Amino acid sequence: MSNQGIHQKLVTLFSLLLTVLFVYTAVSKLIELDTFQWRLERMPYVAPYATLISWGVPFLELVIAGLLWFRRYRTMAFYASFILLGLFTIYIIIVLRYSDSIPCSCGGVISALGWKDHILLNITFMVFALLGILWSKKQYNMQSHQNTT
Amino acid sequence: MKTKFFKLLLPAFAILMAVGLAFATEDEPVAQVAHYFLPGQGWQTVTVEDDCGASGNEACEYNGIQLYSERDFGSIALRKP
Repeated sequence: MSNQGIHQKLVTLFSLLLTVLFVYTAVSKLIELDTFQWRLERMPYVAPYATLISWGVPFLELVIAGLLWFRRYRTMAFYASFILLGLFTIYIIIVLRYSDSIPCSCGGVISALGWKDHILLNITFMVFALLGILWSKKQYNMQSHQNTT
Repeated sequence: MKTKFFKLLLPAFAILMAVGLAFATEDEPVAQVAHYFLPGQGWQTVTVEDDCGASGNEACEYNGIQLYSERDFGSIALRKP
């Protein structure tokens, strides 16, 4: 199997994993929207924007999960995934400067993870998104080139 | 056929699985709060880990300030294992 074939399959796999992550966390947040908002109201820096974030983040996660399955928008969705996960990670690192007793405001069982495990999980998915950007871009460029020749 | 499977069934399966998992692993809402005293601003409230309680080796702190169970220095100074 050529590298291109493997990359294509891996891009699909990364899309699948990111979709599961985003849909899972978005739905978990929406199921317990009140709790999620309540926690955000007590988090450093983000408290004034708790209502906006409590609706905006799950919405954004669902949009990204959807866009990952449209070839045309896949690269953009990988970029958005990378940025969103990056922002979460930066926020966690900033919060850890305050205290490691603050609970996670994330969805579902992921909230049971410790902060360090959470950073590790985010970095892993950021790597998937980064590889997705590189390989889906390559595929899109090759297909565009084939269509024009 | 194979392309159709990847284009439609795979994302549908992923979404269904994620939604199912989200409902299946619905956690108990934890609403444990703790309080700390900030000179000049008074008592502040934050949410804390479930681990923070009356006993443990390590102090539960927020920005280096000891957390209490109530807005009172006489209440339990929270600790964790």
